[in-house]
Amino acid sequence: MKCAEMIETEIETDPVVAVDNRQVVRLPMGLLGFEQFKEYVLLSNLDEAPFRWLRVQDNSALAFVVIDPFLVLPDYSPDIPKPDVEFLKLKAPSDAMLLGIVTIHEAGRATMNLKGPVVINRHTLVGRQVIIANANNYSVTHPLPAAESSD
Amino acid sequence: MLILSRKVGETIVIDGHIHVTVMRVDGEVVKLGIAAPMEVPVHRKEVYEEIQRSNQQALTKQNAPLPKMPKLAAAKKTAAVKI
Repeated sequence: MKCAEMIETEIETDPVVAVDNRQVVRLPMGLLGFEQFKEYVLLSNLDEAPFRWLRVQDNSALAFVVIDPFLVLPDYSPDIPKPDVEFLKLKAPSDAMLLGIVTIHEAGRATMNLKGPVVINRHTLVGRQVIIANANNYSVTHPLPAAESSD
Repeated sequence: MLILSRKVGETIVIDGHIHVTVMRVDGEVVKLGIAAPMEVPVHRKEVYEEIQRSNQQALTKQNAPLPKMPKLAAAKKTAAVKI
């Protein structure tokens, strides 16, 4: 009984507030290591840009911070393997929305994963974490630029 | 673990729909051809585990504090994506 109460409390405090844009995204294979989570909400808040949240759609408030990898690395040129292109039904590169998963380390240092971006078909909103064919050229811990010491 | 000997050009079939063929053996390097339905992910284990660990580290709670970033130039579209 205690357990159920705690879960309920968590749901109530789930901080879904002031979201500027939300899209329901389906990752039928989940993310690597999180194959059990298939439904996500991609949340964008203007004041949090360029970061967005890829939140697990189960009231747990579990989420990943994501970013458009091209913002950080304009020369990024991920090569998406053919089975992934077919699975996602991508007809043209512009059909693909890419999200780099961000890891926040100690002292606010942050990195993003460029070997395994989340690739989402913009039209179907179905996605998959893709291990790019040229993964050897990129890091799972590509550093994000840090802000100047004071704003 | 099941251990099978195969020659170049020979195949093993897994679950009736996954075919693994030995394409070439070159010293210590074995080239495998894998034919699997597209919903069956096939990955090199090292990269798979690296990304899995990275995902586990990245998992957070929504509204965790975000790092500060300098202003970034607008991204070009995904034209650089090769499909």
